[in-house]
Amino acid sequence: MFDLNNLNINNYFFGITKIFFVILAILYLAFSLIVVKQVTAMSKSVIDKFNSILIIFSYIHLIFSAILVISMLAL
Amino acid sequence: MNRSKDLDIVAPDDLTVEALAKSVPIVSPTQTDIKSPLSDSTKKTPEIKTSPENDINQKVYDILGHTKSPFSSFLVRPKVISFPERNQDEEIYLALRPHWIINLHWIIISIFMLFVPLFFHYFSFLNFFPTQYRFSAVLFWYLFTFIFSFEKFLDWYFDVFLVTNQRVVDINFNNLLNKHFAEASLDVIQDVSSSVKGILGTFFNYGDVLIQTAAEINQINFEKVPNPEKIIKLLKELRDLSEGDSHV
Repeated sequence: MFDLNNLNINNYFFGITKIFFVILAILYLAFSLIVVKQVTAMSKSVIDKFNSILIIFSYIHLIFSAILVISMLAL
Repeated sequence: MNRSKDLDIVAPDDLTVEALAKSVPIVSPTQTDIKSPLSDSTKKTPEIKTSPENDINQKVYDILGHTKSPFSSFLVRPKVISFPERNQDEEIYLALRPHWIINLHWIIISIFMLFVPLFFHYFSFLNFFPTQYRFSAVLFWYLFTFIFSFEKFLDWYFDVFLVTNQRVVDINFNNLLNKHFAEASLDVIQDVSSSVKGILGTFFNYGDVLIQTAAEINQINFEKVPNPEKIIKLLKELRDLSEGDSHV
């Protein structure tokens, strides 16, 4: 007989949620890489003194995106 | 004339003029023909005639005024901006971005988004999630808020219109990944018109400048740029100069 008490619904729910979050975080990390590439390409098209600051911002964003993936995997 | 003290936006001719002003008075070609009673006392000082290039630069300053900040949407003879397609002898007279006020809507949205996580505890069902999940969700939310405002800023910052001594250039990015580059020589400009729309446009004096040309790209539109009337005046002046040069 199938015992409902042994089935931990919470574990299944959080497991699925975790997989969803991890996929989302990986997609976001890929997007962050595109942003870095994009800012670099833009900086080459319009050369400006402040472009380096924007590139630094895009890299900081990439680092935080990687932290997000790690934090999702650690759930 | 008050000139900018910011070395990044001081044009080379500014430095020349300032240096000369300290040593000898500058005499324009029209002034040399006029004899004044004081001319005897200044006779011995060497006369320096302004070159046509300096005259054009001065005209540009007279029409457009001076830029106070390198972050301005209206940069007169900027030394901080360039582009790869620029020729060696090409000088940028004016660099434009859309007026900063058009950024206001996404700035307000971003500020609102910053405060959204503070309201999370009002939703009791979220307490069902463990702390780690909530931390990750908040981190994701703030990253999303950052990238939303960053993309909007990039969209504005890299939407650049340039007026050089040879042409007008429009550089922007559609969907932030596709580069759009359009240019037209000054001598093919046929008609320049502007339109200032809405309350904000009227209040902050920004609008669209439409440049119609005889080139393959027959229209270049500077969108939501500050001081459209000054841009039109400059373009007409440069076109006349360009036509004058071509007739000689």
